[in-house]
Amino acid sequence: MKNLWIIMPVLLMSLGTYAQDSLSTYSRQAAQNNISLKPGDSRFMLRGYYHTGLDAVTSEGETDYNFAGGTIAPILMYKQSDRLFFEAEFEGAFEDGEFEWGLEYADVAYVLNNYMTVRAGKFLLPFGTFMEKLHPAWINRLSTRPLGFGHDGIAPTTDVGVELRGAFHLGDVKLNYQAYVINGPQLKDGSEEPDEAGMLMFGYMADNNNDKAVGGRLGFFPFSSSALEVGFSALSGKVGDKGSRFADVRANLYAIDFSLVKNLSFMKSMVDIKGQYNYSQIGNANYKVPEDTTDLFYDFTNTSNSYYAQVSIRPSFVSNEFISNLELVGRYSSMDTPEGSLWEQSPTQLAIGLNYWIDWRTVIKLGYQTTDGLGDHDSPEPITQDMFYIHWAMGF
Amino acid sequence: MKKLSVITSIILMVGIIGYVSSCAPSAKITAKTGAQIWGENCIRCHNPASPSTFSDVQWDVATLHMQIRANLTPEEATKVKEFLQAANN
Repeated sequence: MKNLWIIMPVLLMSLGTYAQDSLSTYSRQAAQNNISLKPGDSRFMLRGYYHTGLDAVTSEGETDYNFAGGTIAPILMYKQSDRLFFEAEFEGAFEDGEFEWGLEYADVAYVLNNYMTVRAGKFLLPFGTFMEKLHPAWINRLSTRPLGFGHDGIAPTTDVGVELRGAFHLGDVKLNYQAYVINGPQLKDGSEEPDEAGMLMFGYMADNNNDKAVGGRLGFFPFSSSALEVGFSALSGKVGDKGSRFADVRANLYAIDFSLVKNLSFMKSMVDIKGQYNYSQIGNANYKVPEDTTDLFYDFTNTSNSYYAQVSIRPSFVSNEFISNLELVGRYSSMDTPEGSLWEQSPTQLAIGLNYWIDWRTVIKLGYQTTDGLGDHDSPEPITQDMFYIHWAMGF
Repeated sequence: MKKLSVITSIILMVGIIGYVSSCAPSAKITAKTGAQIWGENCIRCHNPASPSTFSDVQWDVATLHMQIRANLTPEEATKVKEFLQAANN
């Protein structure tokens, strides 16, 4: 019993010391965790988007079914301060059976004041709105791009340079502007791809001449609700290789864009109407006739245009959740490239789709698209191509 | 001639900045709440994000991204950020 009285205090003291040690360890860990969770000044964020699906393309009576692996596009954002911001988008996709990464854009931005932000690097060009704001798979209401955008398109996509942008209110009206100087598009002179002589290439990092292209966009919100926006874009610069006979060939590109997003209360729906018209004018030049050994040349009036108009409607405010997640989309687009060129084409395209929004950034798209007219430059003959697809797109 | 164009452009730019600085947004614009600006602007391109999508720190990054990309004024971006962070709690 006497021994117990001696042992007990020692045991209790030991337990107390252990508890105290454990408690202080716990407190230290908790403190460390709090410190590690405390946001610092350097703030990273990883976002992006992905899509996949099944395409059924019918052309000349034959149908090809293909699972589309899609494109994964991680976007890295870094906010160093309230004024300094960096973002980069990478694009990974299968090309000819191999997975390849590309740099969509990477630019640094600095907010100079309430009216001006300067950006530098490779950025999405504010030429209209489709490429800069609407092309990501989780934003684009359809799984395809309108005619005139993307491969063999006439609208510029990205470029390297410096840009000044901003927005301000004048009373109820809001204006936004973007003005930039970039390396500029490049002219295909036909030496490598004779069938594409006279086309423009966009998105190249290096410049082919010392003449920098200049451009910009002016956007106008006439109503205080920001429901309606009309924009005008222009881009101009020499596009021929320095020192070549194309050195003085200049390209002038223009676009008009339109957007109306409105709550139609009588239909308990949101309606979204968008459109863009692109016009491209490239200076006259003589191109070598392919596979000719007698130095024959040909020329053509190098003007192109394309446009699209899209309407989507979603009954967002009906009480039935399933119906409120549905969205109906229709789009018409057209493109005309120069008559007399080897890439002459004049297709028109009608696309309709039914979307189901799983949440605000995840959508299942069911669609049908038919393209008619003079086909692509590889087969400049009248074509009809039909396409059914089901795609799953998500932003993250 | 080139110098004249540059000088004219600079004078024009300074004039525009001076004019814009002297013009204030209307009372209707300044009275807009963050929720209203969020509802009106996000949907111009995509569905409005739920406030619970990101943490407060992430909203801090995302709203600066959208300020630049979507041409929001700094006042609009700040109001949207404060709304999203408040609604996120």
